[in-house]
Parts: sequence; C-alpha cells; structure tokens
Amino acid sequence: MTQITLSIDTTSGTSVSITQGEGALAFVSQPNGLKHAETIGDSIAKVLKNAELNPGDIDVVAVGRGPALFTGLRVGIAAAIMFAQAVDAKLVGVVSHDAIALEKYRLDASLPEQPLFIYTDARRGEIYWALYGGLDHHGLPILLAGPSVGKHQQVVDDLTMVHGQITEVTGAAFATWIGRAAALQQAAGVASDDVTALYLRAPDATEPNPNKAFGKRVSS
Amino acid sequence: MTETALAKGSVWIRAALGTDLPEIMALERECFSNDAWSESAMQGELHSEHTSYFVAMLNQSPNRDVLIGYAGLSKVSGSDQSDVQTIAVNAKYRGLGLGRRLMEHLLSVAKLKLATSVFLEVRADNPVAHGLYLSLGFKDIRTIKNYYQPDNVDAIVMQLDIPRDPVHEPIVLGIESTCDETGIGIVRGTKLLANVISSSMDLHARFGGVVPEIAARAHLEALQPTLQQALAESGLKLADLDAIAVANGPGLGGALMVGVGAAKALAVGLGKPIYAVNHLVGHVGADILERGEVEVPTIALLVSGGHTSLLLVRNLLDDVELLGETIDDAAGEAFDKVARLLGLKYPGGPEIDRAAVGGDPKAIRFPRGLTLPKDMEKHRYDFSFSGLKTAVARWVEVAVDSGQEVPIADVAASFREAVVDVLVTKAVNACLDNNVPRLLLGGGVVANARLREVAAERCAKNGIELRIPAFSLCTDNGAMIAALGAQLVMAGREPSMLSFGADSTLPVTTVQTLS
Repeated sequence: MTQITLSIDTTSGTSVSITQGEGALAFVSQPNGLKHAETIGDSIAKVLKNAELNPGDIDVVAVGRGPALFTGLRVGIAAAIMFAQAVDAKLVGVVSHDAIALEKYRLDASLPEQPLFIYTDARRGEIYWALYGGLDHHGLPILLAGPSVGKHQQVVDDLTMVHGQITEVTGAAFATWIGRAAALQQAAGVASDDVTALYLRAPDATEPNPNKAFGKRVSS
Repeated sequence: MTETALAKGSVWIRAALGTDLPEIMALERECFSNDAWSESAMQGELHSEHTSYFVAMLNQSPNRDVLIGYAGLSKVSGSDQSDVQTIAVNAKYRGLGLGRRLMEHLLSVAKLKLATSVFLEVRADNPVAHGLYLSLGFKDIRTIKNYYQPDNVDAIVMQLDIPRDPVHEPIVLGIESTCDETGIGIVRGTKLLANVISSSMDLHARFGGVVPEIAARAHLEALQPTLQQALAESGLKLADLDAIAVANGPGLGGALMVGVGAAKALAVGLGKPIYAVNHLVGHVGADILERGEVEVPTIALLVSGGHTSLLLVRNLLDDVELLGETIDDAAGEAFDKVARLLGLKYPGGPEIDRAAVGGDPKAIRFPRGLTLPKDMEKHRYDFSFSGLKTAVARWVEVAVDSGQEVPIADVAASFREAVVDVLVTKAVNACLDNNVPRLLLGGGVVANARLREVAAERCAKNGIELRIPAFSLCTDNGAMIAALGAQLVMAGREPSMLSFGADSTLPVTTVQTLS
C-alpha cells in the first residue's frame, strides 16, 4: 500500500495537498502571501475532506522548508510539526526549491541540458536561489549550488562563470510537488526529518550601543 | 376554583416586578396577620441583588391577572447556600399544588445559581407546609424555640442538598507564543496538569531586549520539545485532549503566528475544537489554577516586558475592561533599559533587584509618570515610563560629569521605587474608585520582590485582598491559556472557527476570537 502524504508549503501562499506516490488526491491553494495563519487550519481540514480521508489516514507529513520569507514559512512548518505529532505520522522536510526543480524537470522534457537555476523573490532586491544539474537515478534533482540568497544578476554572473549557460526559472512551490519530492526521497532512502526553516538570513537586530543610547556608559 | 382550572395553565409564574408590591403586601398581611413584613421590608426584598422573587398570577379574564401567590429565594453570589425567604398562597387556592409549583420554581433557580444547599424555616404548627417541604426532599436539621413571635411558635429549620451536576472537566492544552516564551500547558477543568515554558530570553540578552524575529524563530524550534515535555509531565497522550486553546493576541505578530499555526494543525489532526483566547485575559485566568476560580470583580495589574495594563474584570469570560495601560514603554522594558544604562545585564528586573540591595529607595526622587493632577484627569490609570528612564539617564550623566562615583545601589533602588510606587498607586486607586476589594497581579515583572512587598503593604492598608499566583503562572505560560480555554468549554461556549488570525493588538474586551 503506497503511503498517503499530507504536504504543506507556505513559502509563498498557503498550499496543502494530499498525495499518494505521484498522484494528487486533493489540494488546496491560497495564493495570498499574507494570510498564512488564518488559512492553514481550514486548508488542512478542507484537503482531508476533499480527499475523503481522516487525519489518522495520513502516513507522512511533508513540509517545504524554504528558503522563503520567514513569517509565512514558519506557519507551515509549525503546522506540519504539530499535525504529524497529532496523527503520529512520519515528518519529512523538503527544500522548496528542490520540489520546484523536480516539477520543472518532470513537466518539461525539453529543458536544455544546461543547469537549471530556480529562484524566488527574497525582497530587498534579492532572490532565494538554487542550481540543479538534471535528475539522478532516483529521479531526484541533483543540486549543484545553493540554496542561497543574493542579488539576482550577481548570482547569475557568478554561476555562469563556473557552470556556463544556465536556464532561469522562477515559480512558487506547491504542496503537491513537496509531496512528490518527499515520496521520491523516501524511496531513495534520503528523506530527512529535518524541518528546520531555511531562513538564509540572520535576524534583523543590532546590538545596542549604550554610549549612543544614553550619552555615557556607566560602570560600577 | 377547581384543580382543573389551575392545571389548565390559567395560573402562571413569573418574576416579581416592583409594581406587584401592593398585591404582594395585601396577600402578605392576609397570610401572616401577626408577623407580616412591613411594606418597606418587602420592597427591599424585591429589589435586593441577592434575591429572586416570583409571583403566581391567575388569569381571571383576558385582561385581568390576579396575584394569588408569591415566593422568594436569596442566594448571595460566591456562597454555596441559598435561603427560601418566604412563600405565600392565597387561602382560596391552597391545596391545589400551587405551593409546590412555586417551591419547585425556587429550587430550579437555586440550582441555576449553583447553590449546593437550600435552607428554610417552617412553623412547627404548620404540618401541611412541613409535609410539602419533606416531600420535596428537605430534611429537618434543628428547631429554634419560639422563633415566631408573638405566637411563641417554634421554627423547624430544614435543609435540601442539591447535588451538583457532574461537570465534565475538559482536558485542554494551551499554547502561548506571544513574546519570548514558548509555553505549553495542560489542564483538566481548573486543575493544572502540566506547565512547560521554554524561554528564548538568553538569545535576546546581547540585544538588551526581545528581538521579534529571534523570538519567532525560537518558538518554532521549541514547539516539539515543549509539547513532548508537557505531555510527559501530565502523563497524557494527545488523544486524551478534549480541546486546544491558543493565545492569538496581543503580542508580537510573527511569534503569535507560530502558535496559531501549530494550534490549528493540532486541532485538525486530533479532530478537537480550538479556542482562540486573549493572552492578557489568560494572565487573569491563571488564578483559576490556584483557586479554582477568579473571584470577581477584581482589578488586575499585568506587568511584563511587553505590557503594563490595568484591567477591571467583572466577569472573566464576558466583561473585561481595560482601565489603562502604558502610553510608551512597558514597565519591564524600563527595567531593561535602565539596567543597560547602569551597565547591568539583561533582563533588567532581577539585575536591578540585585543592584538595589542596600540602596536607599529615597536617595533620589525620580519622577512618577502620569501622576500630576493634570495627567491624572486624562490618564488616571495609564502609565508612562519613558520620562523616568530619561530622568535616570540624566541623573547619571550629571553625576558622571561632576566626577562623582555613581551610587549604583541608590540609583537602582530609587528607580525601582518610582516604578513600583506608580504601579501600585494606580492599581490601588483603581480598586478604591471602582469599589473592587481585590487586586490580582500578573506578568513577569511580578517576580520583582519590591513590587510584591509594596503591593502587599498598600493592599492591606486599604482592605484590598491581594492575589499573586505562583511565578510560573505569572510569567507568560501555556497553562493560563489552557485554563481560560477550559472555562470557555465548561461554559458551553462555541469553539473558534479555524479562520481566526493572530492579532498583535487584540483588545482585552475580546476574550475569545470566534473567527
């Protein structure tokens, strides 16, 4: 019996899906990139209902780890952790860009042989990116570089120097793709239960300078 | 008049109105010729907040109802006991079951008001009434000699015990992630089963205050271990839970969203209802876990690194009013900032406490924010600590400039005194102004020994009962969220819809967010 996977990706909107192997049984996608906390509960409930499944029928919970903007990303991961706990399912973390690459290779056999550059918006004039070199014998994308964050043109220039011409593709990850990637990773024995968020940026915080804040430093 | 006529519904029972007084008095004088209550005594009874009076009305013709009986019950809120004050039926309509109907009505009211025993006195020379009460389950408990005057008739005191409906005590898991503590607590009804808190305080130390993004990241990492530990502490499995509660505000947006997302997925995964509750009201609800209930009305002073709020709680679930709050820094924040200025570590509260040992709290008279008469008009219950912080900075600056050694202990003690003084003064004012004899403290700053000490002193002086829950229930925690959630479950409230969001500025008037 092929395992049933519930997948969550909140790297852009809120996307929840139930897959069995390659096939999607149901999916719910809410493109709004702001309402993750509002949407996540209904999305999970709805996808279960649409697939006519009970929470207990879920064997695996897969979640997109980003890289992505932090606030929404965390909602999906937090939900995945708790849902897996609630139904006693196996938890699998998937790099969201791996899932996008997998889907691009899957859908478009005519993709040139050159490396595939997957990027998503990271705001502040930067992108989250990863570079792939085709599929391995398990059917999983081969990671050449990244995932990382940087200025689009700068990154592309640097990568081109090393890897030659690259094909650039952008797009949001969908939960169904996360589920498929998780299934392939499990079959290949490389699935990981690491669901740590890929922030790739340090939190915005500066250590205070007491001299600046209060005129003079005092020490006892 | 026949029994059939009464049974047909021509007699109905309704709550007594002020306008019933003349008819009630007429019947009173008729039934209790020797020892009737005066009209003013009866009027007082009808209008007392502790009593419930009912009248039996006979519908004589389409537009004419005649009062043929009345009965009253007294139940002081907070007490388990209830008393039948009086019962009277027009002599012409006795023996038709009307007395029983009135009594049954009173008993159902006593039960609704959660009385566990009902008392009454009956004349020893009235075997019919005595028999009625016996048949309703009352038992004789004692006799008072010559109670009824001027007839010199004994009173038989009777008691009926009302078994409380076995209240289902729901097992509720609460999730708290409004600031820098990831809290997961589990309660059964009003009983604490687990309270696990994972704080990211150390990660914020070098920044001198809570960094929202660091707090949010820490929540995500702490979720699973905190949940595991809470389950282990309670000895329960997730399947044992009856409901999930989560604090959906007020607090830091990104931090709140982690808790909300986690709670929703847990609720859907378990197929259990979810209750989105107010974090600040949760602080008030913490007292439930120590006392079984929050005695109301109460003033609540909630002081932490994120909040400084004065609440008037008339009813935990339905009537919480924000009297005032800080208009700039929270009290905890002021401690942090002044600690930094004095070269002390984060968090500032305990550091200032340590530094203040041996210091003179009266050495320097730092300003008490918003206490001048003109401020008190507009901001009677509001707080301001920003000016105080600046005043300390200036004082220290002047001292340093003049080449003095800064008396850290005196500065720390005097600063702390200013904060504590204004907090307690305003809280006590709120109690006295609103005629509320109780003050409840909550929030992390309650750990401050001087705050507890001054609050205890001034509350005692003003006849105010002071409640300070254990520190693990004062600081941000999931148990208080679970406790508030359990109250909602036990009150039969609808669960929240799954569509609610995190609201960083959720007002205290919204105890539960429904959608």
